[in-house]
Amino acid sequence: MKAGGAPGGYFGRALIVDVTDGSTETLDLPSSVLRGCIGGAGLGAWLMHQLAPARVDPLAPEAPLAFVFSPLVGTPLTTSAKFAVVSKSPLTGLLNDALASSHFAIAGKLTGNDALVIRGACAQPSVLLIDGEGARIEPAGELWGLPAAEAEARLRKRHGPAWRVAAIGPAGERLVRYATVSHDGRHAGRGGLGAVLGGKQLKAVAVRSAGGKAPLADPGAVLAAARDLRARSFGPATAKYRELGTLANLLSFNAISTLPTRNFQAAAFDEAPRLAAEELHELRHVARDYCASCSIGCEHIYRAPGGKQARVEYENVFALGPLCGVSDPDSVLAASARCDELGVDTISAGGTIAWAMECAERGLIDAPWLRFGDAASMLRALEEIGAREGLGDLLAEGSRRAGAAVGGGAEAFAPQVKGLELPGYEPRTLQAMALGLAVNARGADHNRSGAYEADLSGDLDRLTGGERHAAAAIETEDRAAIMDSLILCKFLRGVFEDPFPDWAELLAPVTGWDVTGDELRRTARRIVVAKRLYNLREGWTRAEDWLPERFLGEPLELSSGREATLSPERLRGMIDSYYERRGLAADGRPLPDTQAELSLNLFAVR
Amino acid sequence: MRPQSDTYAPGPPRAGGSRREPAGGSRREAADGRPGGPARTAGVVLAGGRSTRMGRPKAGLEWHGSTLLHRIAGIVGRATSGPVVIVRAPGQELPQLPPEVRVVEDAREGRGPLQGLAAGLTAVASEAELAYVSSTDVPLLHPAFVAWVLGAAQREEVDVALPVAHGFRHPLAAAYRTSLLADVDELIALDRMRPAFLFERCRVRELDEQELLRNGALARADPDLLSLMNVNDPGEYERARARAAPAVTVRRFGTLAQAAGREPLALRAATLAAAAAAAGVSLDRHVVAALNGEQITRDPEFPLAAGDTVAFLAADAGG
Repeated sequence: MKAGGAPGGYFGRALIVDVTDGSTETLDLPSSVLRGCIGGAGLGAWLMHQLAPARVDPLAPEAPLAFVFSPLVGTPLTTSAKFAVVSKSPLTGLLNDALASSHFAIAGKLTGNDALVIRGACAQPSVLLIDGEGARIEPAGELWGLPAAEAEARLRKRHGPAWRVAAIGPAGERLVRYATVSHDGRHAGRGGLGAVLGGKQLKAVAVRSAGGKAPLADPGAVLAAARDLRARSFGPATAKYRELGTLANLLSFNAISTLPTRNFQAAAFDEAPRLAAEELHELRHVARDYCASCSIGCEHIYRAPGGKQARVEYENVFALGPLCGVSDPDSVLAASARCDELGVDTISAGGTIAWAMECAERGLIDAPWLRFGDAASMLRALEEIGAREGLGDLLAEGSRRAGAAVGGGAEAFAPQVKGLELPGYEPRTLQAMALGLAVNARGADHNRSGAYEADLSGDLDRLTGGERHAAAAIETEDRAAIMDSLILCKFLRGVFEDPFPDWAELLAPVTGWDVTGDELRRTARRIVVAKRLYNLREGWTRAEDWLPERFLGEPLELSSGREATLSPERLRGMIDSYYERRGLAADGRPLPDTQAELSLNLFAVR
Repeated sequence: MRPQSDTYAPGPPRAGGSRREPAGGSRREAADGRPGGPARTAGVVLAGGRSTRMGRPKAGLEWHGSTLLHRIAGIVGRATSGPVVIVRAPGQELPQLPPEVRVVEDAREGRGPLQGLAAGLTAVASEAELAYVSSTDVPLLHPAFVAWVLGAAQREEVDVALPVAHGFRHPLAAAYRTSLLADVDELIALDRMRPAFLFERCRVRELDEQELLRNGALARADPDLLSLMNVNDPGEYERARARAAPAVTVRRFGTLAQAAGREPLALRAATLAAAAAAAGVSLDRHVVAALNGEQITRDPEFPLAAGDTVAFLAADAGG
């Protein structure tokens, strides 16, 4: 099964499937690449450097999309059953990786591959099936138009429960630029990867274990580490996720003016208590769920209208609630459930609709029916996006493209960076996060930059960004790069007292490497810079490391009556500091010393 | 900039809260120093007095689980945007202080407040146009008082905003323009060591009780102007210490909330630790507090004042 000489936890190869004709090839993954990139997002970046044609249209057949696993997948380490979906984003035009969890990761890796890469395009709606016998393509016309969960259920019924399925919804089929790929109700949500599969007319990818695991270097040590990590995962660091889930953020953020409201025109929402976890949990909580191999169980499932259920996360509720001025819990839960069915990223959907609501109020678009606070109009906009009908055809492009099309100053308040809509963290009151949102390679995102942690730690002034904020943004970005490559769930991060050495101690017995915390720090920097290198190749310029004008020109009134402001000069100062600390030239290219230190030649096309 | 590590390492909590914009007073964008914007403000706390009548150093006097000096440095810090500097006598031992507070020494011991003023203004002059100068022995000082006095100096464009209340001038509860440093140095050279000599040669705006209480926030928080009350001997200290701690409002969020309908809590607490204890919150590395919706802190000794609202939140804001 395993390629000769592959490190523990790896098969040492990726399977490349051309879905145009079903042909496959195997790409050997050298140990130097695996050690230098680990897996997940890091290995995905390497694969895109190698396999994506320069300047490729992400929706074109030639654009590759990879499901990438990691050395920890299949081990008993808690939260390790995760996979990265990686391709060039149709929303940003830049490198995109989005993570999801559960049995697809385990079964996908047990096909005997560390990554599954798909390129080409099918002549008709199809499904790709991969197992130990190879890859085959089946027509899937009867699945086209179904929600991903239903397509998944039907495929497993047809082929058997050993198959695990990642699928797209109707939005992916219609090339909505922020369509998701989902598995078992969880979404690789950001950046429009579902549209990439839609562009290939691929409704789903199904995987089945071929049986043989990738041997671990020291199984006893891995088991001991897993027991220890599991025990720690029950501690106070994860209490929030277990007891209330991420929605616990909503009321807290509201209290400290970091809850984006009405398209970032405010940072507190009077009606937030109606949507608070503390409130909804009592009234609507149905169940708590776990990903495969997880001992935290962060998923809180609530009753939604129409007998439906919705997995409720802070980001869903923020984006479809306060951001659109909507406070009715039924409507927010219905919208969240509908996003899941359509297969769209809730953050980009909510952000784009909120932007359109502001455009409508300002008379920039002809949609008098669309208003902040009007839940019915939000739901209508969502339907139109999923169908690409009416206004929805414009909104399916995301707020950046839509802003450019509408003009008249609408771009200034499009809530996006690099085309990716902002998550629920107000940059003017979280100024380390403001930098993180501005510079991250994926765009405005809270999973690749966790700088809000620094803002909310009490260790620096969240209202006055400066040098220390740049250091914090880099540190949290580096930590995310390793967690996303190992892959471990970020909700575990609070249990690691000294993260890089702790992570090295998990990776070493899996792989057999004498890896250290210092090496992982260098690996983190390599991965972060490698993503930027890919973006440079695709035409990225420094101007894209920036925030929308709204955040730099409009003061934000705080509950105390004072104002929070973030001037362009201050943001520029933080970005300059970030570049300097990252070893980047003024144009964003890595300096020669940085290239050498981080062995970036690893990414040169072979 | 105040001397801070330029690295960031989340983990075990550090004592101390973050620096921030002032809690009261003007709206500002201080760090950018835009022309016409509000002045940068600093705090100077004089700790080098002899405490003769008290019989022991005032700086280390216990104050609701903290110390007098820690409290005053924290209160002044809450109302200023720039550094807070403690001026001590040469070699004087000080209690533990918030980590961002700086300590400088009097050039010569025992020469009185003008000497301390010179040391303090020297330490902050490059970073602030105005400094609030405080003695250590004012345990009931409220941040709204500091903010209002500093605001008066700026609004009136004077060199000194000098409270006059309870029948006295209060030069150690006043705002000074840092550009007065040259005058202060000159007076010291002339051995003219009383603040009154400084007031003779600059623009002074006296603020009487009525003017002080014109500020709504101050009038609500400290209607008797107890911010100006010194404790000079053990009796005064004991009487002040016996007063109830400030009335504050506490809100708990997420998993810290005990049950619906019990928020917010009205209680009395002089420090963050006391508020946490009274609210049944364990102030560990998994918890942070937001003060009045703005400043985030985990410093157990962080001083609270009447009218504050403290929100306890999960430290992990991942979503």
